[in-house]
Amino acid sequence: MDIFSGLLHGFSVALQPANLFWCFVGCFLGTVVGILPGLGPAATIALLLPLTFKMDPASGIIMLAGIYYGAKYGGSTTSILLNIPGESSSVVTCIDGHAMARNGRAGPALGIAAIASFVAGSVGIILLTVLAPPVALFALQFSSPEYFALMCLGLALVVLLSGPSLIKGLLSLLLGLWLTSIGTDLFTAQSRFIFGQPQLLGGMDFVVIAIGVFAIAEVMASIDAGDKARMLPVPKGLRNLLPSWEELKACRFAFVNGSITGFVIGVLPGAGAAISSFIAYGIEKAFSKHPEKFGHGAPEGVAAPEGANNADSGGALVPLLTLGIPGGGTTAIMLSALVLWGVKPGPLLMTESPDVFWGLVASMYIGNVVLLILNLPMVPVFAQILRMPVHILFPIILGIALVGAYGVSGRLFDIGLLVGFGLLGYVMVKLKYPTPPLILGFVLGDAMERALRQSLTMSQGDLSILVRGWISATMLILAIVILLLPLFGRFNQARMKAIAEGG
Amino acid sequence: MSKDILRNGDVLSGAVLAALGVYIFMESRHWVYYGDDGPGPAFFPAWYGVAMVVLSLALMVTTIRNRTKAEATDWAGVRRALVAWAVFAICAASMFWLGFFVSFAILTFFTVAYVFRQPPLTGAIIAICAAAGFYVVFPFALSVQLPTGVFGF
Amino acid sequence: MRRCWVPLLAALALLTASAGPAQAQFKPVRTVEFVVHGGPGSGNDVFARQLATIIEQDKLAPVRFQVVNKPGGGSTSAAGYVVSKKGDQHVIACFTNIWLLDPLVQQAAVNRLHDMSPIARLVVEPALVVVLADSPFKTLGQFIEAAKANPGKLRWSGGSITSRENTVRQLLMQVTGARWQFISFPSGGERLAALLGGHVEMMIVDPSEAGEQIRAGKFRAIAQVSERRLPGFQDIPTIKEAGFDIPNVPQMRGVVGAPGMSAEAVAYYEDLFFKVSQTPAWKKFIEDSQLDGEFVRAAQVKPFLLSFEETLRDILKVAGAKVIR
Repeated sequence: MDIFSGLLHGFSVALQPANLFWCFVGCFLGTVVGILPGLGPAATIALLLPLTFKMDPASGIIMLAGIYYGAKYGGSTTSILLNIPGESSSVVTCIDGHAMARNGRAGPALGIAAIASFVAGSVGIILLTVLAPPVALFALQFSSPEYFALMCLGLALVVLLSGPSLIKGLLSLLLGLWLTSIGTDLFTAQSRFIFGQPQLLGGMDFVVIAIGVFAIAEVMASIDAGDKARMLPVPKGLRNLLPSWEELKACRFAFVNGSITGFVIGVLPGAGAAISSFIAYGIEKAFSKHPEKFGHGAPEGVAAPEGANNADSGGALVPLLTLGIPGGGTTAIMLSALVLWGVKPGPLLMTESPDVFWGLVASMYIGNVVLLILNLPMVPVFAQILRMPVHILFPIILGIALVGAYGVSGRLFDIGLLVGFGLLGYVMVKLKYPTPPLILGFVLGDAMERALRQSLTMSQGDLSILVRGWISATMLILAIVILLLPLFGRFNQARMKAIAEGG
Repeated sequence: MSKDILRNGDVLSGAVLAALGVYIFMESRHWVYYGDDGPGPAFFPAWYGVAMVVLSLALMVTTIRNRTKAEATDWAGVRRALVAWAVFAICAASMFWLGFFVSFAILTFFTVAYVFRQPPLTGAIIAICAAAGFYVVFPFALSVQLPTGVFGF
Repeated sequence: MRRCWVPLLAALALLTASAGPAQAQFKPVRTVEFVVHGGPGSGNDVFARQLATIIEQDKLAPVRFQVVNKPGGGSTSAAGYVVSKKGDQHVIACFTNIWLLDPLVQQAAVNRLHDMSPIARLVVEPALVVVLADSPFKTLGQFIEAAKANPGKLRWSGGSITSRENTVRQLLMQVTGARWQFISFPSGGERLAALLGGHVEMMIVDPSEAGEQIRAGKFRAIAQVSERRLPGFQDIPTIKEAGFDIPNVPQMRGVVGAPGMSAEAVAYYEDLFFKVSQTPAWKKFIEDSQLDGEFVRAAQVKPFLLSFEETLRDILKVAGAKVIR
């Protein structure tokens, strides 16, 4: 079946009233789950799985996929409004999204997030439709040395996330690297830095740390600032609630960048949506004409990561549907769902169950439109939340943060961690240590250590394996260039100064 | 002069991070650095531990050498923030006995009435409404489990 | 019409009689907590929800069975939770090998499986040893010979050091003297991708996953990790049949109760899960996922766990893991 007739067949499946209905239900549930913390897409799918046993496999997968990509749409809402990242993929959105909200541009930030999600989500599906088999083969080229190089490239972005003091940025990154090694070492079952706490054996969850360091610290900092910053400004009038033409124009490149970066990284089974959103943000800032605006409410800083984490859903389905390889937590459940319905996920899925494959792909085109229609009208409504007086808003933020942290694995221990990381985040803000590098280190550190150790085990300690492939070599060189940029910058400044003083 | 240096946040935090770096490095000495099959669990921590010591010392040295003056700190604000955090921490701890809703209501009450200096009645009303609202959204509508205490809710 | 009742009643009488010692005095009176150590959607979670769904659909119990996820630290969070419910007749958990393994290698994992109340072993999961379809290795023997010729050059992908993949490798290396590398990946997807991309030479994978890759002509199975040949893979020898005399390493799933559970309650749950194992829905699930569904009763589970722990301890020591208990 070629692509065109396949897609046509897919639409004939997806446009059946029942399937349209399930697509809508999935998208709606996904949006709700994405907005509210405490119940991630993975948990929702697992809970609803028994209900889908009686459904047709095509309807079932259409609904579950709706939850999966719908949750990523909704994830940006609490990030932008309350600085609470509900999902790991929306942490980066907090940086500029919440800064925009503080500048009174909460509505436009939400609008840009929805539009970026739509554009990149659609691009991701188009790429999934036309490129799935060749891209899957590309993903298989990625071995541990390539993953190591990718993580190095990601860590090099610290330079762009650091703010005025590079040393403080690097220290924050190292703190993140340390936090990520807490727990049990995969290779040797050696427990590291657990302070005798069995609860730490599995390591800490990224969402707990991010909520503590971002949301709780933000609340404390606002209380510290007292009357000076009591309320977030929310200008009246519909015009101020939707993105302006200038803002959208500024995001042109970010839409493209987010789509492609998100899709390419999403295809790799060993890299998650959080990584693709960080890298898209880094690329955006590196190529921006005014990088100084990032972190203070640049619309591109919302569009790029939000786009990336939605294009990532299309990418992550490539190895799942063409090779039977699940990329992460949520796609792994979708895989077991397929098995329970009696559909055999694997290389033959596309030819043997065209209803499922093409029906799903076509439903995702429809789902993206549904999500845009569901989300855009909600923007002005959500923006009103910030009009609440702080003495009502702050308890709600604290409550949502508590539910979000507890929801990760249902233990009070995580709430204790949340309290601790809240204080850490506040101290870091007070002492002007940037917090995004800490999260970056935490996300990438573990994967980087693993990839390095896998590579060296494969080569029996021969370091040259890291640069043997052209993909890994290119990425490593790029990482080094990015890391050295500020040094050149400083050197340049010093030279200019010397010239000026000499003249 | 020397007193100022000791009060400087960069110097203090640098010292704390240097100590953490030393701890990480010493801890990693207990584990295998390089095993038969490749790098061991100590490989990575040893390197970032050393890097942490070097960078934090660099931070301390540059701060002291440049005599960077810390900006004046609004200690009243810091105290307010820390009080709010302490309330948060105590309520979080009390969840073990009181469950989510009671603790959250108490947290809300104290945040509204003490941190934001609203009348106690306003605080009580907001506390009850917030707790009820969370109950309706999470356990009731979404069946998300929240911590329960001795009262069973 | 009336005549139909007679054989039915007789069958019913026979069934209750055959339950024998499991004359259940105990009946659960409130929702039973069914603890699993993975998050929603993990293998164990899906397994437990399957059991709970069957109990609900066939109305085998008077109360609901609610799956409670206690992820974190392998099995340690879940085991800690179960032990904290000591004496509770309404808390059961789904255990796997990792419940035995964690206390052996983790100082902080203090709760051991055989101190709880084992109820039944429900399934053993067999596995296949696979290579790429265009690989030069047609048999396990050829792979071992090649590994002997080039020590440390060949590679297996698998999970952590305590996983079955590594255990089988250690046992094989012990009996043959060959040596090859073991590359740990945290997720099944990455292990599969590593073999498909040709970055490793071999892996051990469960038959439902491997079956599709084999059918698509990507993988070739060269041996199976199982006591006897699987129905779907009659022409593939087990490791023992391939000429390597190592003990089979079963990957098991079963049910355990909170410590101090009364004998009546254990008997009740044992009987309940036996009934589940006889339902058509369960039999279909076992067949679809190519599991070995032999039901092992409480009386046999405990001695089995103790002896199996002994085997695992020896293997781990050889593998170079720090065994502390």
